[in-house]
Amino acid sequence: MTSLEADLEALLGRDSVTPADGRAGPTPAPTARPRSAEALAEVLALANSRRLAVLVRGGGTKWGWGRAPGRCDLVVETTALNRLLEHEPGDLTCVAEAGLTLGELQRLVASAPGHHQRLMLDPPQGGDATLGGVVATAASGPLRARYGTPRDLLLGARFALADGTLARTGGKVVKNVAGYDLGKLLTGSQGTLAVIVEVALRLHPVPPASCWVVAERLDPQTAQAALAALRRAPAVLSMAELLWPEGRLLARLDGAPSACEQQAEIVRALVPGGRLAGERETDELVRMIERRPWDGEGPVLGISVPVNRIGELLALAAVGGPVAHLSLRGTVGAGEARLQAGADPAQFAARVADLGGFVSWHRGGDRDSPPLQPLDPVAARLALSVKRALDPHSTLAPGRGPV
Amino acid sequence: MDRIPARLDQAPLDALRQAVGGRWVLTDPDQLRTYECDGLTGWRAVPLAVVLPSSTEEVVQVVRICRRSHVPFVARGSGTGLSGGALPVEDGIVIGLSRMREILRLDLDNERVVVQPGVPNLEVSRAVAPYGYLYAPDPSSQRVCSIGGNVAENSGGAHCLKYGFTTNHVVALTLVTPEGEVAHLGSAVPDSPGYDLLGVVVGSEGTLGIVTEVTLRVLPVPQRVQTLLAAFPSTDAAGEAVAEIIAAGVLPAAIEMMDRATIEAVEFAMHAGYPDCGAALLVELDGPQSECEALFGQVVEICRGCGASEVRVAEDEAERALLWKGRRGAFSAMGRVSPDYYVQDGVVPRSQLARVLAGIRELEGRHGLKVANVFHAGDGNLHPLILYDRRSPEGPDRAKRLAEDILTLCLEAGGSLTGEHGVGRDKVCQMPKLFSPDDQMVMHRLRRAFDPEGTANPGKVLPTPRLCGEHPGIYRPHPLELSGAAQRL
Ligand SMILES: Cc1cc2nc3c(=O)[nH]c(=O)nc-3n(C[C@H](O)[C@H](O)[C@H](O)COP(=O)(O)OP(=O)(O)OC[C@H]3O[C@@H](n4cnc5c(N)ncnc54)[C@H](O)[C@@H]3O)c2cc1C
Repeated sequence: MTSLEADLEALLGRDSVTPADGRAGPTPAPTARPRSAEALAEVLALANSRRLAVLVRGGGTKWGWGRAPGRCDLVVETTALNRLLEHEPGDLTCVAEAGLTLGELQRLVASAPGHHQRLMLDPPQGGDATLGGVVATAASGPLRARYGTPRDLLLGARFALADGTLARTGGKVVKNVAGYDLGKLLTGSQGTLAVIVEVALRLHPVPPASCWVVAERLDPQTAQAALAALRRAPAVLSMAELLWPEGRLLARLDGAPSACEQQAEIVRALVPGGRLAGERETDELVRMIERRPWDGEGPVLGISVPVNRIGELLALAAVGGPVAHLSLRGTVGAGEARLQAGADPAQFAARVADLGGFVSWHRGGDRDSPPLQPLDPVAARLALSVKRALDPHSTLAPGRGPV
Repeated sequence: MDRIPARLDQAPLDALRQAVGGRWVLTDPDQLRTYECDGLTGWRAVPLAVVLPSSTEEVVQVVRICRRSHVPFVARGSGTGLSGGALPVEDGIVIGLSRMREILRLDLDNERVVVQPGVPNLEVSRAVAPYGYLYAPDPSSQRVCSIGGNVAENSGGAHCLKYGFTTNHVVALTLVTPEGEVAHLGSAVPDSPGYDLLGVVVGSEGTLGIVTEVTLRVLPVPQRVQTLLAAFPSTDAAGEAVAEIIAAGVLPAAIEMMDRATIEAVEFAMHAGYPDCGAALLVELDGPQSECEALFGQVVEICRGCGASEVRVAEDEAERALLWKGRRGAFSAMGRVSPDYYVQDGVVPRSQLARVLAGIRELEGRHGLKVANVFHAGDGNLHPLILYDRRSPEGPDRAKRLAEDILTLCLEAGGSLTGEHGVGRDKVCQMPKLFSPDDQMVMHRLRRAFDPEGTANPGKVLPTPRLCGEHPGIYRPHPLELSGAAQRL
């Protein structure tokens, strides 16, 4: 046992420390699993004072997001912080520890008697993802078309800085402008600024009914035009997914049964070859959306383009192009692409940049891969001074994330 | 800062004149007085000078001069803020953005509009209306307040219940940092790389730099709008209806509540024809016709179930305007029934509305002052109006104490210090009620990462021991409000 492991055991108890293994990188590192925010803060303070590099881990489902960190001496796992602290159905809000999984949260909030609510986030591999991890990666899925991304649903957070300071930002009410909105800063910061230990989130009621509209074998320009029409149509899309190269469009409408049927009809009429999907097919569609584009080998990139360039992006995903599979949220022009085995990510990134868009690593970004997008130089300098202000010794995930 | 000049030295003054042109640097005491306060008129300070740049480049030069000469600066939009955010600092200058008021680009294919910071909020919606779009955040000061001020305050409005606040509608901005550099934050396209610094700058009240260009998201105008006014025996009953509407999963565009004191004032001042009742709810739904119709019936039923004696439904645009008339005129009406009033801005969890309103009634009795409530009930954002007479010996002090007690009540219920007016100078000393020293320390570190020298709007947002010994003056209504050009929400 190394002295670090011994010190962690003294701090947390034997059950909360796993001896060094190789899952965090080439150098073996132990894992600490503190049971309270305070204990987690103490672990960070200890690592910080010894100038160790710490990686935060939630469910591990987005371990590959962002650039791989430069080094890791200690993994701090949040999974023992897994309580739902408050759920006030009348406010449509909840407060939970950051290590609670999204799947478990959904189960718990759905079980409040007389209410049927959920957190309207459906990131990839979402069930096992922890809330802290979802926020730290700003991960989202098809539902963002209507409900936005973690930045829109996070009301407040409690977090630990590398030096062990525990602090809060925001609150648990849906409207609040007191102090800086550090929740936005933590969202997408990939564990490089602070360890999120608690989150307050906005919930939504589960709509009583859903209808699906499907179309196949669309070509890129038709798909772009159909989506442009849908964005202005009197229909509220909860999802509008484009799956390429097969040219599929999947749209979901939610609401009162009569309302969603009428809106589905409007959508169907606007999409060439559009038809309503039956219940059995719908289940299949949901599973397909969840798998794509993660099934199969090859790097996966997060991707976004202006909505009036979607057609050109889809053309890049035609059979024989660099993209094996593309899943795009058509109303916002953001999603994921899995590249063909031999395709060059940097080259693909450059083509997306030409469209005015962005890419980021969601799988396969290795230690040496360059950041795929240059940042605005002054924004980069500000980002660096924010990093130094909150984590002066670069204890948290050095080399990962934007700076 | 190592040196604070008592007046602006000749060298920086010359440099400022060189940067923006002599006529855009104001130093005449009479002119300066126009800038001595924002909408919260109880706080006043005369700045050393007011500088009115016309471009990002000029702002950069002005900020660099400030930095070189150790002169603090305060950004100012239209000066309608209600927390003293644009209150000048006596040893500093005001940088007014009112000359930067161009709408630079419409990109409606991508639902984006690019504007300069001095553009009034309503101008954005006006510019895109011919194409069937709108800009959703609608503070009641929208005819006057600037987009730069909205960004700095993360402003809200009646329709933010459904559409979210300014922060949900700003996708990119240009920031002149306190060190005089130009940063481009965010992007017209989602998921831009890097930390979400944009999200931090929105709501930072001019303390992280000066916003000189903003890219906004605009939305298609909804197909249908439906509005009703429901009369309840009490605020308890109305509060219950709000809770039920929210819990039923109906998301109206707006839910506004008025209590008896407000309704009486409205009837006295403008004969809006509101029903005689303990509390009224104004509920507006918008969206696809099919959805509106399905939900509207549900809202009517919930109101009846919670004891509404009357539910008036607007059949056309004229009737809708009539229903909103009393709500929109509520504040000026209050001016007719009370010599003075102070508007508090607090937030409570929606499930606590009835309890907190009862608490406010109890405080009324204890302080011997009347409170009228007219507010954004849907998101729990209270705006109690504390009615007092500044000529009575203890009036202002009592009003202030009552306002603070109401805030304490909000915080005890799990709410917040401010829902849309910001901390500014007014609530800086109340921050410790919500945030621990460590919470504030982290915010302070963030601020210093943007502004190492502390030149950007010092004395706002975060408390310092020097600040928190002072007392604010009494409240006086904003000139806009008196002229009826805008309402205080
Ligand atoms: C009658 C009335 C009704 C109101 N109703 C509402 C309402 O419904 N909802 C609501 O949210 N608010 C409301 N307000 C408050 C106010 O209108 C808003 O806070 C508004 O956003 C302020 O805009 P402004 O241009 O007047 O900003 P100012 O008052 O000039 O400044 C406000 C703050 O923004 C900073 N600032 C201004 N411009 C910039 C810039 N370009 N870059 C960086 N910082 C900048 C200032 O330093 C200051 O801290 C109301 C005010 C009045 C008087």
